[in-house]
Amino acid sequence: MPDNAAELLVSTVYELSRRAPAVVATAAAELASIVLGMSFGDGSTATLRAEHSRLIATLGAPASPDVEFCFDDQAMNFVFDLQRRPVDGIAADALDLRGDRAAILAVWRTFAYLAQRGSGLRSIQQLWRQYRERSPDLWGATMAEPPPAQGAHFEPVGWSALDFLARRGSPMDARRVGGTVTELPRVLWTGRVSTSWWENPPVGDADLVEVMDACRANVAAEVGRLIPDCAPQRDLYSLMRDYPARGGKGLRPTLAIAACGALGGRPEDAVRSAAALELFHNGFLVHDDIADESTHRRGLPTLHVRHGVGMSVNAGDALNLLAVDAVLSNLQDLGLARTIGLIQEVLHMCRETVEGQAIELGWIRRAVVPKRDAAYFRMSTKKTGWYTCISPCRIGAVCAGETSPQALTAFNETFRLIGIAFQIQDDVLNLIGDEASYGKESLGDLLEAKRTVMLIHLFRTAPDSERSRLLENIARPRSEKTFSDAQEVLAAMQHHGSINYAIALADKLARRGVSRFERDLTFLAESEYKGVLRQIAHYVTTRPL
Amino acid sequence: MVANLSVLGPVGEHAPQRMSLLLVHDDAVGWRSSQFNAVAPALPWSSFRYPPAEGILPLSARSAAPAVSLALRRTSRPCTSQCAAFADWQHLRWQSESGVMADGDWTVERGRTYRSVRALGYHERVRGRWGWPELGGWVFGFANDHEMNPADLLGPPAWAVVFTLIQPSRSNDEATSSVMLWRQGRLTWHFPRRTVSVAVEGTLDRDLVFCVPPLAATFGTRPAPAIPRRLVFAASMGADAVALDVTCRTAARIVNPSETSLQPFSVHEVLGDCTIEGICSGQSFSFATQAIVEFAGGANDA
Repeated sequence: MPDNAAELLVSTVYELSRRAPAVVATAAAELASIVLGMSFGDGSTATLRAEHSRLIATLGAPASPDVEFCFDDQAMNFVFDLQRRPVDGIAADALDLRGDRAAILAVWRTFAYLAQRGSGLRSIQQLWRQYRERSPDLWGATMAEPPPAQGAHFEPVGWSALDFLARRGSPMDARRVGGTVTELPRVLWTGRVSTSWWENPPVGDADLVEVMDACRANVAAEVGRLIPDCAPQRDLYSLMRDYPARGGKGLRPTLAIAACGALGGRPEDAVRSAAALELFHNGFLVHDDIADESTHRRGLPTLHVRHGVGMSVNAGDALNLLAVDAVLSNLQDLGLARTIGLIQEVLHMCRETVEGQAIELGWIRRAVVPKRDAAYFRMSTKKTGWYTCISPCRIGAVCAGETSPQALTAFNETFRLIGIAFQIQDDVLNLIGDEASYGKESLGDLLEAKRTVMLIHLFRTAPDSERSRLLENIARPRSEKTFSDAQEVLAAMQHHGSINYAIALADKLARRGVSRFERDLTFLAESEYKGVLRQIAHYVTTRPL
Repeated sequence: MVANLSVLGPVGEHAPQRMSLLLVHDDAVGWRSSQFNAVAPALPWSSFRYPPAEGILPLSARSAAPAVSLALRRTSRPCTSQCAAFADWQHLRWQSESGVMADGDWTVERGRTYRSVRALGYHERVRGRWGWPELGGWVFGFANDHEMNPADLLGPPAWAVVFTLIQPSRSNDEATSSVMLWRQGRLTWHFPRRTVSVAVEGTLDRDLVFCVPPLAATFGTRPAPAIPRRLVFAASMGADAVALDVTCRTAARIVNPSETSLQPFSVHEVLGDCTIEGICSGQSFSFATQAIVEFAGGANDA
């Protein structure tokens, strides 16, 4: 809970970075290299600056700001008020601006994005409401009265439909997916002018965290229902539940459900297919961990470490088998046409994945490090890109009844680029991230000699003598490697700038992905579900590293 | 329950096309529907045809469920018929009657039959000549005051309301709206076109919309636009005013094939919680009840 206005601003930027990456990326592009210093009516100060597509808000005033904004209480009152346009709402003497004129305008646009789009998210409204209720004196005397409580008998209202809605407020209902953005009332009939009820105004944003939570929960429940609760429990079905129960980000379920919704389908129709994807994913992980000799997965020992290779291989097979069964079981709910489409998508996805795995295992077996990033892009797209990003979107679209090859192909390039960027970031986090947060074995990729962009860059830039020593290091079997071997490779990567190269490359690919999103997916009408897809496309660029 | 019985085409040398659909909602199991070939009497009961008489309406899916067998009788008087003319030569004429009493057995699905249940409903007769794309769409609904348990009800409901917004695709001049209020079975207030305003807010979660009849769902019919989550009709004329506020709970989308366009015409039968308040002849009133609302449209190929 923020204690002062500066903390409120820092919390808001943090929450928006998690929940609405597209909004933050747009605002960061406006802010560019400007360092903004802010001071507030309660005496607190904060700094706002952009780094790539990320907005960094910190407490305290900057040493040499490009632009200074001084908000008094009145100005704060209007910044995130959905009912007013912030720019018009702020009184002329409530805000003091100093700096270069072009930079002031850029900051103004940054705030306009954050305020006008971010304020639509219910969770951001909640954050500001809590702060207002806690510090009402900071908000001047312009707070509107809360709407009257609705009871069995009603207070008189205005006799126009829009007045009625404004006076009554809107009851919140429990939603499964979506509903994270406030939609303003609209008039269908004024007595003279008619607006069709079916012409819904577009909603372009969504709260990524809330939608991902809802999708993850729905799909986890479906996975729980799909795995049989019968014998042999101890030697098979409990093993199959192990990885799914460890959780995850929920990227695949969210993409599948959002793509279904974006094409006008019922989100629920994609839940079973999303559960099938999760079963495939976990089946692949079990086998992948054995092939890579990994010791930890999502912060816990891998399945083969716990139960041995034989039983783990069998559990992985069973997960894949059950996933096929789950796809087929759509027949009753989605009909024959969509189920056949789903089978085709799933077969293609599995083929790409095993081909990608074969390429990587072949490199490791032959102690080869590819010279060009393009080879990594191809392997990464096949191994993880299809089943993590591309196929979930296509499968969600099929669940909505879309089987046209052009429409399905439109997802490919955007999510190929996003998928590669995401995988590179995941690989970076394995090297520099905090093990507790990311749940993977620290430096595990180096112990497994995983062919990452960093390793490829290192081998491309290191001198011959160093390269042959490094090749000898990575060619050793994992069982013979020590932690200091991995640290030696890490030090070399840092020395040659391989990690910074990978971060910049991921950012570049993600930006290309975002631009393809806006170009290739124009056929999707703006909706909260398309907003979710957009937020995921931006998630890679704004994700904290 | 929603029963749609339609007779398409003139009576002449060829028999007109008949379509019938029975749609039932039960909170425990959700929506259940027949196909468009529900078994219905050749000349079903209608209070417009036999004003004083009680009648029996047996209606069932070919697969035997859902099914209803109801004794129907009127408790109220119908409104005068209303007409919407549009697209040069097309028109839609309808007449509404609130407070229709239904006693009988309701089979939602096999093994789930409710016996001797009394319900209070609404009856409407529609005639006209129109194409779905030109008609555009409509928002229509009704609510009977449920303050008294229908089982104890002998006469008409204390209050009833019927609201309509017709939205032809061509121009604002063809759009029309009305709110009608019944008091103790008699139509007492009619708020016409220019006295009415209509607003909506939010969208109903798509997971709460069920596609019927089953055949339409099986064929993967294209999605329809999202329907509003909340609907408000407000009307005022002189010192008299009424406002009704419906919060939608669940909807069944009936997919009607269109004879003149590629897209189907969808009628969403929506169940919702409704609050109604007003001031009429100096007397203020308010009540909370359940409403059925139709959001229809979507046949336009553009």
